[in-house]
Amino acid sequence: MCSEETVLSIAPSPVRRHPKGFQPGSVPLARRNLLANKPRLLRSACGIGFAVLLMLMQLGFQQAFFDSSLEVIRRLDGDLFLQSIHKYQFATRDTFPRTNLDAPRNLPGVASARPLYADWYNFFWKNPFDDKIFLVRAFAFDPDGPVFSFAEVNANRAKLKEANTVLIDRQARRFLGMDRDPAEAELNGTKVKVVGSFALGPDFQSDGTVMMSDRTFASLLPGPAGSPSQVDLGVVKVGPGVDAAVVRQAMTKTVPDTIAVFTKPELVEFERRFQADVSSAGPIFAMGTIVGFVVGMLISYQVTYTDLSDQLPQYATLKAIGYRTGYLLRVVLEQAAFNAMAGWIPAWLVSIVLYYVIGQLALLPLRMSVNLTLLSLGLTLGMCLISAVLAVRRVIRADPAEVF
Amino acid sequence: MKVPLAWRILAYDKRRTGLALIGIFMAILLVFVELGFFYAVPRGGLLLYDNMRFDLLLVSDQYEYQAQPGAFPLSQLDRVRASTAVEQATPIYFGFAKWKGGEGGVWPDVFVIGFEPATHIFIPDSIEQQLSVLERTDTLLVDSATRPIFGPLNAGRVVEIGARNMTIGGQYVLGTGFMGLGVALASAPNFARLFPGRGLDMVNLGAIELKPGVEAESAAGDLRQASGSGIQIFTRRELEAHETAYWTTRTSVGIIFGSGLLISFIVGIMIVYQIVSTQVGRQLPQFATLKAIGYADRSLVWTVGAMSLLIVIAGFVPALAAALGLYSIIRDQTLLPVTMSEARVFVVFGAALVMALASALLSVESLRRAAPADVF
Repeated sequence: MCSEETVLSIAPSPVRRHPKGFQPGSVPLARRNLLANKPRLLRSACGIGFAVLLMLMQLGFQQAFFDSSLEVIRRLDGDLFLQSIHKYQFATRDTFPRTNLDAPRNLPGVASARPLYADWYNFFWKNPFDDKIFLVRAFAFDPDGPVFSFAEVNANRAKLKEANTVLIDRQARRFLGMDRDPAEAELNGTKVKVVGSFALGPDFQSDGTVMMSDRTFASLLPGPAGSPSQVDLGVVKVGPGVDAAVVRQAMTKTVPDTIAVFTKPELVEFERRFQADVSSAGPIFAMGTIVGFVVGMLISYQVTYTDLSDQLPQYATLKAIGYRTGYLLRVVLEQAAFNAMAGWIPAWLVSIVLYYVIGQLALLPLRMSVNLTLLSLGLTLGMCLISAVLAVRRVIRADPAEVF
Repeated sequence: MKVPLAWRILAYDKRRTGLALIGIFMAILLVFVELGFFYAVPRGGLLLYDNMRFDLLLVSDQYEYQAQPGAFPLSQLDRVRASTAVEQATPIYFGFAKWKGGEGGVWPDVFVIGFEPATHIFIPDSIEQQLSVLERTDTLLVDSATRPIFGPLNAGRVVEIGARNMTIGGQYVLGTGFMGLGVALASAPNFARLFPGRGLDMVNLGAIELKPGVEAESAAGDLRQASGSGIQIFTRRELEAHETAYWTTRTSVGIIFGSGLLISFIVGIMIVYQIVSTQVGRQLPQFATLKAIGYADRSLVWTVGAMSLLIVIAGFVPALAAALGLYSIIRDQTLLPVTMSEARVFVVFGAALVMALASALLSVESLRRAAPADVF
């Protein structure tokens, strides 16, 4: 804990220490002021740091929320994607006839156009360790036409040719038992052989994922629902050196108008927008971030204000001997920036640890990213500098003669 | 009396005291907001049950949570009905279907709840008053919280749902909870027509109402013995505990809000500590003077204690008011049932008081040690 001691200690006067240093900027005044009272520095760093930590957690959760639902799309091995125009999000079934992939496949520049079968509502996995049944997400494809970029999936895809074999997600929620390397399990009441695993992780809709061949999919989901003639997503790869955007234009013309063509970034954006619109995750986490920002501003204001009040005589002296307001302002802002960094650096480090721990517990892709680093740094500097500007008005107004 | 002294100290530097109050206000508001989110998740999961009349709930032994309940044969409910303790045992059906009339041509999934209107199983007046509408063929009621992606929800609109044209008979007010983006109510016959493949023989929930005066716990025990395997029976209390455990421990939503709550508590404590200790620390010379002129340590501790209590109380009241205001905004914006409970008000108030007192006492320790002469 940050200990409290008297806040009355007086910073060493830079002027006294450096008699020749009358030129503004030649004395690291801001740093000296801060280091003069180390307990207070520690206390303010703690206060600001916790506010930063709060912001970083909220921002991290927000990013993880979106990443978890976008991860599977990012792992699709394709440049262009075909899906029904009725499909409003990735995690819902809306199929189109497989024959609609024939024309796109024959377009110049297209290397392959492969079907992905997917289902979110009809596959029930029985945990082989406690026999409890859970809804899981299922993906299926022709083992000779892989559609995912998971190396482990592609290495094991030949094994999927055998009937009733599946690959499972070892990052799935623990209660599914997929992380315990089962050899066999039950899917929709049928015994299936587990021939490998991959690491994907759950999202906010699905607890776990199984992958299988299109034939196994059809046999586990009898009737039209599992029929290989209806596909959920067409995964198109263009040849080397071919511009996907050009192919996309031609493709849009060849497919019926009930099918939409997406590039990968468009598909990711489509899903992100859906999640943002319906989940209210954006506002929820933004609220937490704003509260963190305001709290941090208050703490920082209090730190700067206390410091300025305590050292008002010193600042007034500086003014009296001819230092300009601009110089004093700079010192105060520098000090605020130092305070910001003293809070931000430890908070950033702690949040990396917390991301890891919570990520493991919640099976969420909580990761420190360049974006989060820059955003949190910007917010931290912003809150400290704004509060410093608000607090410094008092120094600017200070009449040297009145202070004493 | 110590309070007047504490009061005067606080009233002397109004600007600084104001700052401290804002800090305490923010800290308490932060904790309330995170608490609201944390409890809203299981509350959202319980939304449907909170709006239904039943004493016991019969479900499949594969029951996970409300939106993934598994199914059991209708005959199980007949057995329950045979018991003299049971007034009514109502089957509830759940199904997902494509709503082929969304905004911009999309087909969102609608969660359809099927029930027998004559059973009066739902509490909201808006449902009670429109039960006759549900009796019309191929008509359903939609939840007023159904998202805009479903397009207009005006009565009379005909929408193709699954493979059937259904008419919107009106709207009711209950909330979609975590059931989906859109929820609709249908009578059992309409439900059967909407989901022709599944019929009415497999039931998702059995809502049991007991005769007046029958004690739920013991009736549940008797019914469990009487009914066969493959099902389980929850009392209200057990059901609430089950759903809450599911949402807080098994979903990432619960874990996220749980850790958010934990961090906000720590941040809140830090702010209270920082503010109270600064306030006390500022007055050290004055306290030292009081000590020098003969005031006992204990009397100073009382003053400091009174100071911190005053700050916390003055910060808490507006924070509670702001939290209530914010809750209603959050309810509108996110459709999460964020609500305040008395217990939470007391716990947060108590925690803030304890924290403020502890911080005050910690910072006064230095005062205790201080020789009056050293302070100046």
